[in-house]
Amino acid sequence: MSALLAIRDSLMGERGLQRWAFYIPVVFMALFFAAPVALTLVWSVFERTMFWMEPGFTLAAYENFFTSARAENYVYSMIHSAVAVVVSFVIGFPIAVFVRRRVVKAAQHRVILLFILPFMISELVRVFAMRPVLGRNGLLNTGLMELGIISEPITIILFSPIGVVIGDVISFLPFMVFAGFLAMEAVQTYIFEVCDDIGVGRARTFRDIIVPLAAPGIFAGGVFIFVNSLGVALVPTILGGPGAVNAGLIVNQAIVALDFPLAMAISAIMLLTLVVLLYVGHRLFDLTKILQPIS
Amino acid sequence: MAEPFSSTNTEPPAVEVVGLGKNYGPVKALDSVNLSIAQGGYTVLLGPSGGGKTTLLRLLGGFIRPTAGKILLHGRDVSGLPPNQRPTTMVFQSYALFPHMNVEKNVGYGLKIQKKTKTDIAASVERILSLVGLEGYNKRMPHELSGGQQQRVQLARSLVLERDILLLDEPLAALDAKLRKDMCIELKRIQEKIGITFVHVTHNQEEAMTIADRIAIIADGKIVEEGSPREIYERPQRKFTAAFVGENNLIEGKVINVNGDGLTMDAGFAELAAITKKQASVGSEIAISIRSELIRILDGNDGQAEGVQKIPATYLEEVYLGLTTMHLVRLPNGVEVAVRRISDDDADFGGTAGQEIIVGWNREDAGVHTD
Ligand SMILES: Nc1ncnc2c1ncn2[C@@H]1O[C@H](COP(=O)(O)OP(=O)(O)OP(=O)(O)O)[C@@H](O)[C@H]1O
Ligand SMILES: [Mg+2]
Repeated sequence: MSALLAIRDSLMGERGLQRWAFYIPVVFMALFFAAPVALTLVWSVFERTMFWMEPGFTLAAYENFFTSARAENYVYSMIHSAVAVVVSFVIGFPIAVFVRRRVVKAAQHRVILLFILPFMISELVRVFAMRPVLGRNGLLNTGLMELGIISEPITIILFSPIGVVIGDVISFLPFMVFAGFLAMEAVQTYIFEVCDDIGVGRARTFRDIIVPLAAPGIFAGGVFIFVNSLGVALVPTILGGPGAVNAGLIVNQAIVALDFPLAMAISAIMLLTLVVLLYVGHRLFDLTKILQPIS
Repeated sequence: MAEPFSSTNTEPPAVEVVGLGKNYGPVKALDSVNLSIAQGGYTVLLGPSGGGKTTLLRLLGGFIRPTAGKILLHGRDVSGLPPNQRPTTMVFQSYALFPHMNVEKNVGYGLKIQKKTKTDIAASVERILSLVGLEGYNKRMPHELSGGQQQRVQLARSLVLERDILLLDEPLAALDAKLRKDMCIELKRIQEKIGITFVHVTHNQEEAMTIADRIAIIADGKIVEEGSPREIYERPQRKFTAAFVGENNLIEGKVINVNGDGLTMDAGFAELAAITKKQASVGSEIAISIRSELIRILDGNDGQAEGVQKIPATYLEEVYLGLTTMHLVRLPNGVEVAVRRISDDDADFGGTAGQEIIVGWNREDAGVHTD
């Protein structure tokens, strides 16, 4: 009886509650973060059966991946994703800098929140809406033809890798704007005054000062876009075409074919890609050092 | 004051501002300021917080544009020029270094922008770092430096540009008292060595006294008074200066009598005579100031001396401050007055709380302020 009471006290007492408050995140991470990762790795080496899989150890799924066109498609998908990251940086980061530098302080956060609005629209609809814009007789082509800039409709921008990159950029650009905006917090106003004093031009300030200082944030935004471009199957499903798939779509196709170990193996490879990416980023930008407080 | 052989007569002043004004919306941060700063000296702009010091300095540096008036630097109107095309460079209050560059890169960056060669840059950086006492710190990152060292790097980054006027906005504000004093002496030494014009903003009067050749007092967007540290401290002209600098006791009243070399003021509880050359009309409101180290508690004999102004007071308390001890007394009009003495000079100086005493000062030590 007293033992039970002691347990109850330790669980419900003030210290017990504090302990629970500490463990809840741990439990949450274990359940929803570590477990799926572990299962992915384990299942990827299971034996394939007709409708599911059975315990065992085989690298057949990996072999299947590396000896088929999937590996090649995966590499292309990485390249397309990298292009999407670069395009997002070129468009999105200047927007972030602009908002930080030119919009009145009090309004900055509101302006940035505007970029959330597209997320309110179902992603399916958002990506699908690109079709009538980019299509053969779409808004873009008819517009350009009316203006006499082109005589033939451009067909390479839909159902092609370019279409996928455009879709990725439009879908995930806000990540770069947010991350860039937050990263600009590391670039204090005095920096710009010092640059004015020295006579550093705009382009030079951007290249030598702003980008290096905001690098951790830019990198974080870039990783987000890269991972989504690589993994969200929806974009190539709707805007892609022959040869314009991404890793997520390859996984989807494997699941549709009921080849679960293959789906898991590809996921594991995506995971490894991300880990390598993060490691390289960490070494490159020396995140810990750059994030040290300035004063 | 004519100095026929001095070359300063032909050189234009380093800084000359005429009718300079700056408004931030409805706030008048600076209001038709006229100021002239000679070349090659150490000038301190001293004043209370919000007085407009930073605004004036930033106008000189070209970081903000004036609402009215003009700025001449070395005789040239710089109104339309950006900071880098002015003969000025600025040391900021915050540790404004590039956080991702080491000391050497921070200092050399300006020269790199000017497309100097690598060897030239390295030589200049080396020379400047030794000038500011940071030899061997080339590879340190800003976050590996103390506050004082970071400010030295900032100084080096400005000096390496070899411009003629160095602007410093409270460069020592974030340092502790001891370090601030050392840095003051250091800054002064550097200024004397390289001979360019330093314009230094601070609200710390000890800093100003230590470092300045000339002090300009700024408050409420106006230049209140200008002079050497000694003039500002010993002979403040304006009432504001007397109240702001040093530890002056101010007694206010109305002029009741004016004669050739002085006047008499009715302070309400006593008539005080003062020596002054200033013009004050009978009936006008004035103030008499007397520094705390020049006011005394009188004993019987002392009070008989010639030229001593005596007034009755009530002893309040003594406050031991180390080197000096402050004795607080209250005048009949309720004003508290500080009397400062070297501690232990005479142990039984002072009194007991509530004791009726006489305080006094030599009339020539008091200042008269008509505005
Ligand atoms: N950007 C600004 N917008 C609006 N008002 C401002 C701005 N900068 C300064 N002011 C106002 O102008 C006045 C002078 O400011 P300034 O910064 O020049 O004072 P300061 O003498 O440097 O004070 P401190 O010793 O506190 O630095 C103050 O009343 C301040 O509130
Ligand atoms: Mg200031």
